[in-house]
Amino acid sequence: MTTPINRRRFLRGAAAGLGAVTLNQFLTACGASETHTPPTTSAVQSTQPTSIPPTVAAPTTASGAADTPAPAQPTSTPMGSPDLVVARSGEPEAMVRRAVAALGGMERFVPRDASVIIKPNICVAYHTYEYAATTNPWVVGALVKLCLEAGARSVRVMDYPFGGSAEEAYEVSGIAEQVKAAGGEMAVMSRLKFVPTDIPEAKSLRQSAVYDDALKADVVIDVPIAKDHSLARLTLGMKNLMGLIWDRQAIHGDMGQRLADLTGLVRPKLTVIDAVRMLMANGPTGGDLNDVKQMNTIVASPDIVAADSYAATLFGLQPEDLAYIQAGAQRGLGRSDLKNLRIEEIDVGA
Amino acid sequence: MSARRSFRRWITARKIVQITVLLLVIVLLIMTRRGGWPPEIVNLIMRLDPLAVLAQALSARSFLLGSTVVLLTVLLTVVAGRAWCGWLCPLGTVLDLTPLRKHTLRDKQPNIPNSWRSIKYGLLIGILVAALLGNLTLLVFDPLTIFIRTFTTALWPAADQIVTSIEMALYSVPFLSDPISSIDAWLRPAILPSQPEYYREAWLFGVVFVGVIALNLLAPRFWCRYLCPLGGLLGWISRGALLRREVSEECKGCTLCTTVCPTGTIDATKRYASDPAECTMCLECLDVCPRSTIEFQPRLKLASRQAYDPSRRQFLGAAALAIGGVALFRADAVRQRSDDYLIRPPGVIESAMLDKCIRCGECMRSCPTHGLQPAFNQAGLEGLWTPLLIPRLGYCAYSCNSCGDVCPVQAIPPLTLEAKRAQVIGKAYIDQNRCIAWADHQDCIVCEEMCPLPDKAIYLERREFAKQDGSIVTVQVPQIDRDKCIGCGICEFKCPVNGSAAIRVSVPGAATAF
Repeated sequence: MTTPINRRRFLRGAAAGLGAVTLNQFLTACGASETHTPPTTSAVQSTQPTSIPPTVAAPTTASGAADTPAPAQPTSTPMGSPDLVVARSGEPEAMVRRAVAALGGMERFVPRDASVIIKPNICVAYHTYEYAATTNPWVVGALVKLCLEAGARSVRVMDYPFGGSAEEAYEVSGIAEQVKAAGGEMAVMSRLKFVPTDIPEAKSLRQSAVYDDALKADVVIDVPIAKDHSLARLTLGMKNLMGLIWDRQAIHGDMGQRLADLTGLVRPKLTVIDAVRMLMANGPTGGDLNDVKQMNTIVASPDIVAADSYAATLFGLQPEDLAYIQAGAQRGLGRSDLKNLRIEEIDVGA
Repeated sequence: MSARRSFRRWITARKIVQITVLLLVIVLLIMTRRGGWPPEIVNLIMRLDPLAVLAQALSARSFLLGSTVVLLTVLLTVVAGRAWCGWLCPLGTVLDLTPLRKHTLRDKQPNIPNSWRSIKYGLLIGILVAALLGNLTLLVFDPLTIFIRTFTTALWPAADQIVTSIEMALYSVPFLSDPISSIDAWLRPAILPSQPEYYREAWLFGVVFVGVIALNLLAPRFWCRYLCPLGGLLGWISRGALLRREVSEECKGCTLCTTVCPTGTIDATKRYASDPAECTMCLECLDVCPRSTIEFQPRLKLASRQAYDPSRRQFLGAAALAIGGVALFRADAVRQRSDDYLIRPPGVIESAMLDKCIRCGECMRSCPTHGLQPAFNQAGLEGLWTPLLIPRLGYCAYSCNSCGDVCPVQAIPPLTLEAKRAQVIGKAYIDQNRCIAWADHQDCIVCEEMCPLPDKAIYLERREFAKQDGSIVTVQVPQIDRDKCIGCGICEFKCPVNGSAAIRVSVPGAATAF
């Protein structure tokens, strides 16, 4: 029995539809204020497990992680541990392990049951890791293992390539293979989750569509490859965070300050710079082995500005030569005064 | 009665086959994306199309080994007539699923003259004659190319838009963001694209498709009865088909079968006989006949001539039209001077593109950046809906060689990734009047950063510019080494200037016309 649609039925249907839309709008509005405003310094919202006060001191309390005692309080400088570690001349995994151990172990950064996002540089799907356009797969794999050993609940690895698809770039770079072998998960970044976000205390980039998962995760670990870049001069830790925003073109003007603003929002707990093989020219895409310099070095620090400052010296540059390092130091995101930092150098090969 | 029930089963079986094949075709098209299934599997659809294969062979003067699978379709037709149309064709199934005319057993066939049936033969003759002259433009009317092209350029992008807006709305609801996030991770990029797909004139392809469906208002399967050139070709083969519909002496002329026939080919004035070239073997008549007087039996005889079968005069007329049309295409000015922006897929030779491309659009479906778009008049009307790269919409990815792999007729040659990377498809040039560095005197470098060549074709130069007040600014400006540029267009795609890019890729090389 099909009754033809009369006016009454039509109106009833239309009213129901309209109601649903209104309800959704309402819920959206509720959601927007809660989910998409990043934590501010003073008001730490309970819904925000990621609230990281700009001063590095306070321990992050993920709602799930609060009741389990964190092995080490993530303070800026625990007793005796250095500000920055440089590991040299070993296998990538060994260098990462030694460097992180010297910083106080991964437990210092990754509380038990924490959700971790590791952000390597997987900018294009063009070449294998030998060409040094993408982060060394074993460096990423080692970090995944360390996080899981520290008791992380989930470890997701992601980047948003600008050339070629993510799936393809993950495979070509060799990172997918090592991450899966280490027990981590390669996540393809979804356009859906680039949520317009206000950036507090920003001087230049006040609003941007930032990857939601990175803001919600308990821990973000930044693992760039050190390489040449014509505008930033070098792509290091702060520059690598550009992969977490949708509109990268917007960052190209006033890049130094905008990268500092973005870093202030994302605040990686740990930065590990892969200088195993460095791309010296024709970055960030690479493709010529003659542009690659074997350095066999890993730089690790909870202070992203310090890590970038040290990595700059590997290219014969000074921290002052890079606008984003200066802007980051000025914003108080970290220190670029290398001679005053406690730097531990480890020769893994010895 | 028991016999009738078994016919119902046959009809159910047909419907199951139809839906299954339709879904299978859709799955194959989804998996045509880069990173999906192997090209020789996903492009099987077009290689099973006798019209596309025949026309392509005539036009390109060569037959591809991979196209021998088309013999399966020919064999099916020799045995069971136009069963392809009634059982397999995805467009036919869509038309069956959209019966815009309410149909009851009391309905008479629509009052459309039978002579219209010859349109499809005219189209078929036109396609084949034009193909002999090296032209395949009319293959845009092949039902499979219509289906694939519409799916690629209109249906799937539109479906993605709908899913995306639903996801966006639900994702912003706090307690739904996690489940939506998992659904999205499952959907993309496996089924739906990671980034929205855009096609020029997407609406046009949608309208053409809706138009073909809307013809159902005039008659069920109007397209298949009167217009479909593939139906015409299969109809010709079917005239000698083995399985024949026969009506026995017990028929009392109740006319039920004539009303139920979806192609309206059962003729009450000819003792309810039907034309094998029109019958799609749907078996509806078998089921509806109250006295079970209809049988499908193997018979060895040629079908009798119908009034609407093309006469010699009609044949010559269609051929003459095709010859005239092709001649007109050849007189188009694009034959003298190519369009500035006719960037073809890697490895394509323009003349070979025109006489090989069957307009199926598989390449556009497989292009991961969706920079491959259907040409409208860039190659003249002759090149209608052949693929061209529009770098502003999507670049030729340095990591990809999908289009050549998936092309069922090698209009785009299959190339190794290494060989494809060496193909020069265009050359970039900078519009210094609009470039952020050159014109606005601000650092930008995006084009240089994006250039995928190991030895970048775009390099930066420090330039001093004098401002009006006499001050000097130093800016890194991009320059192009045209010897290195391969025209992939990622610079044009990523150029941050609004509207058309300040760096553009145009056709490579010196003009060949003189």
